[in-house]
Amino acid sequence: MHSPELLKGTLQTILLKVLKDHGRMYGYEITQRVKELSHGHLLLTEGALYPALHKLEADGLLQTETVMTGKRVRKYYSLTNEGKSLVKERVSEFIEFIRTMGKVLQVQLN
Amino acid sequence: MTEDHISYIIKDLNYRGIVAEGIQEELIDHICSAVETEMANGSRFIDAYHHTLKSFGHTAGLRETQKQIIQSENNKPINMFKNYFTIAIRNLRKHSFYSFINVAGLSVGLAICFIIILFVKNELSYDKHFVNADRIYRVKSEIQFGGGHYNMLASPPVMAGTLASDYPEVEAAVRFRQRGSWLVKRTVDNIKEEHVIWADKDFFKVFSIPVIAGNPETALMEPNSIAISDRIAAKYFPNENALGQTLILDNDMSVKITAIYQTLPANTHFHFDILIAMEGLEEAKQNVWYSNNFHTYLLLRKGADAKQLEAKFPELVVKRVIPQVMELLGPGFTLEKFKESGNKIEYTLQPLADIHLKSSLQGEFEPNFDMAYIYLFAAIALFILIIACINFMNLSTARSANRAKEVGIRKVMGSFRSHLMRQFLTESILLSFISILMAIIIAYLLLPLFNQLSGRMLFIPFQQPSLYGIIVVAALTVGVLAGIYPSFFLSAFKPVSVLKGHVALGMKSGFIRSALVVFQFTISIFLVIGTLAVYRQLNYIQNKKLGFNKEQVIVVDETFVLGNNRIPFRDELMRNGKIENATMTGFLPVSGTWRSDTPWWVEGRDPAVQENLVSIQNWRVDHEYIKTMGMNIKEGRDFSREFPSDSSAVILNEAALKGFNFPGEVIGSRIATLGDSPSGAPDREHLITLTVVGVVENFHFESLKQNVMPVMMFLSKEPEGAIAFRFQSQNAQDVIQLIENKWKEMAPGQPFSYYFLDQRFGSMYAAEARLGKIFGIFSAIAIVIACLGLFALTSFTAEQRTKEIGIRKVLGASVSSIVMLLSKEFGKLVLIAFILAIPLSWFGIDWWLKDYTYKTEIGVGLYLFAGLAAFLIAWATMSFQSFRAASSDPVKSLKSE
Repeated sequence: MHSPELLKGTLQTILLKVLKDHGRMYGYEITQRVKELSHGHLLLTEGALYPALHKLEADGLLQTETVMTGKRVRKYYSLTNEGKSLVKERVSEFIEFIRTMGKVLQVQLN
Repeated sequence: MTEDHISYIIKDLNYRGIVAEGIQEELIDHICSAVETEMANGSRFIDAYHHTLKSFGHTAGLRETQKQIIQSENNKPINMFKNYFTIAIRNLRKHSFYSFINVAGLSVGLAICFIIILFVKNELSYDKHFVNADRIYRVKSEIQFGGGHYNMLASPPVMAGTLASDYPEVEAAVRFRQRGSWLVKRTVDNIKEEHVIWADKDFFKVFSIPVIAGNPETALMEPNSIAISDRIAAKYFPNENALGQTLILDNDMSVKITAIYQTLPANTHFHFDILIAMEGLEEAKQNVWYSNNFHTYLLLRKGADAKQLEAKFPELVVKRVIPQVMELLGPGFTLEKFKESGNKIEYTLQPLADIHLKSSLQGEFEPNFDMAYIYLFAAIALFILIIACINFMNLSTARSANRAKEVGIRKVMGSFRSHLMRQFLTESILLSFISILMAIIIAYLLLPLFNQLSGRMLFIPFQQPSLYGIIVVAALTVGVLAGIYPSFFLSAFKPVSVLKGHVALGMKSGFIRSALVVFQFTISIFLVIGTLAVYRQLNYIQNKKLGFNKEQVIVVDETFVLGNNRIPFRDELMRNGKIENATMTGFLPVSGTWRSDTPWWVEGRDPAVQENLVSIQNWRVDHEYIKTMGMNIKEGRDFSREFPSDSSAVILNEAALKGFNFPGEVIGSRIATLGDSPSGAPDREHLITLTVVGVVENFHFESLKQNVMPVMMFLSKEPEGAIAFRFQSQNAQDVIQLIENKWKEMAPGQPFSYYFLDQRFGSMYAAEARLGKIFGIFSAIAIVIACLGLFALTSFTAEQRTKEIGIRKVLGASVSSIVMLLSKEFGKLVLIAFILAIPLSWFGIDWWLKDYTYKTEIGVGLYLFAGLAAFLIAWATMSFQSFRAASSDPVKSLKSE
């Protein structure tokens, strides 16, 4: 399992990309999906996930809708138009970052 | 997973402190989903739940998550602002009495400000709507000759043409010739029109007035053609095309309409409705430089310098004017002698934009306004606004004691000073926003009243987007202005001393507050004294001995339509018992009636010697004039039918007597002037002489701002003009009825118009009366706003000192001594304000009265009266609150803590 410290800077990129690929999702679903994609290597902690989601919402990149099911209220997140246009940029920025890291650490990435 | 499980989770999370709206539900859903997954894998509910909680980091982790979310949301500025706003609203509502006083004062102050700004803006916009406004100039003349000194707008008939043809700076020139009101008819009935003028054909070239029909280039070229405004077109030709139609002026002049133009906007210094082509006026064709009867307006070429053109005028006078005068008066007259005796003829240019506010000369088309009053109004508006703002500051700082604890606690909780300042500024800006909206409503309601008072057509430009911008900017400015001092003051409290209870309480710390109260009252008292002085001067004018009796005289205008019935009309009415006397003449002792001024000299003296000439009013009257006007003969006798020789008799006023400086006995002396040659031009060979038979006491025939000028009266061969009736009846309505019936009988179909001499006299001082009213209203408002503040301040002190008053009463203080105690402090301030206001108003009144040759005495009594009035009003305001505090039951105030 990767260290949460490493995750910190990339959390927003992950959330945006996941939501782009899957449309609307709720919090628990996102953690499960990330876990699945990383084969259990990445575990989003709830303490990091929710503040990040709220921040993206406040910045206008995400929109929410709530669905009532009995006593439970489920809040779905999806990308706004602004968010959608940003995903590609964020992902390529991150790839660039990994390449740079590769050079700095003198390792060959495949 | 069952319902019970869910309820358990909800309760448990609540217990762990996850309560924030929005976050709670989301976490519940998340935990439920996780628990469900684990239970599906075979775990027990309680194990699954605790396992999930663990991933959150138990209670601490949950709370941390919640805190992080809340914090990130609170950091948004909009939330901070919302908080300031909520607190501000709560505060204002909690102290609704003070909020009311603040809003009431501020909104009235702002409304006045707003109206005055509209007014000033309107005054400044006069004539600027003409496209070439910056290139249009008016010729002004200053003539000093034969003891007379004239600043006027009249210029010679050839002036305009000469300037346009010989001077390259001038692109076009237009002349106007005014002749009072005209009778206009289409077929049968005459209507009296006031705004009729002779104008040159270049009128539309100089003044960019939109022409609706007709060709402006050719419109006024032919004699007997006229241009009319669309207002007149609609009046005489409703639903018809007026172009090419005919109107009849003064019963005998048939004119063709050659152009219809848009009615001139209200903010123009003239409002001509009918322009008659100058081509038809013989007088306009004379090549004469010594008579001044025309208004001349010039349109200069682009880039031409008015100063340079003006510099060429003295040469024009030497080359053109002087030779003609020399020819007229004889070879004894030379330019050198003319100048030696202090005479001058000077022409200058006046920019179009200056006319409305900076010009008040003989012959203005309409009464203009005065720049000084613009400044005065603006200053008053500002003062009223400042008074209202001071209320706000004083109340906020006085209430500091109540908010000191709040400030202390907030600071302890980590507030910066800037946070507190923002809080207080939000409150004041909010108040000023409410006030400004109220102010707009008040201004909207007051505007019709103000329009009536000022004679303007102002309106609030609601459709202009800039208005809303101004409202926002004004609200912010006033809010910041009024709030900056309290916010500095309040936010500077030290939490330790505040929370320990050492606050500068109530009135003790109020040096600045006292100064502000003094300032408010100084201005209020100044305005009151100013109002009283204006009214006193008006009263003086109304009651001054004028040298004639203006009461009980009715004047009938436009008598020429009676034709040969003029004399019978007068004589038949004179036989009626209600009519005491009647005189027929156009020369009346109120302004706006006929005037004629020529130089005369004592027979035998040389007219070419300047000192011998007296510039004097020549009034053609009849036998009844002096009796009807109630003038007093000082020497000699009145005209009499018993002396046929009176056809060449003259009666002088005292000023004329002084001017002529007769060598011997006055009665029987003879005076002379140039007569007319057969061609109509003045002729040196042909003198007219008159014999003095009487001297009449000086009487005021122009505004009291001017000295009485020399007047001579002689009998008219053919009486004409208006008829003035002196009547003897309590019921003026009966007299009007009587005269009107006779008029209808003798002049059917002609408009009957009349006025009372005293009313016309009063209208000469309409500007003063208006000033008095506006001043009165402003000073009342200033006093009311200042007293509102004082009222709130006293009620606040009384509140602060409830316990003290209770204890004093228990120890035996009387109600009156407590009232004294509470009012003393502010009473002192009002007294200081009074002392400061005295010199201020003395200067102000002195400045205003210096325009009047005849002015009232402003005694000490007036100052004392104003001071006493202000003091009493202030004291009454205070004692109401003080008395309430003093008469309350001490048990009530002392038993609670």
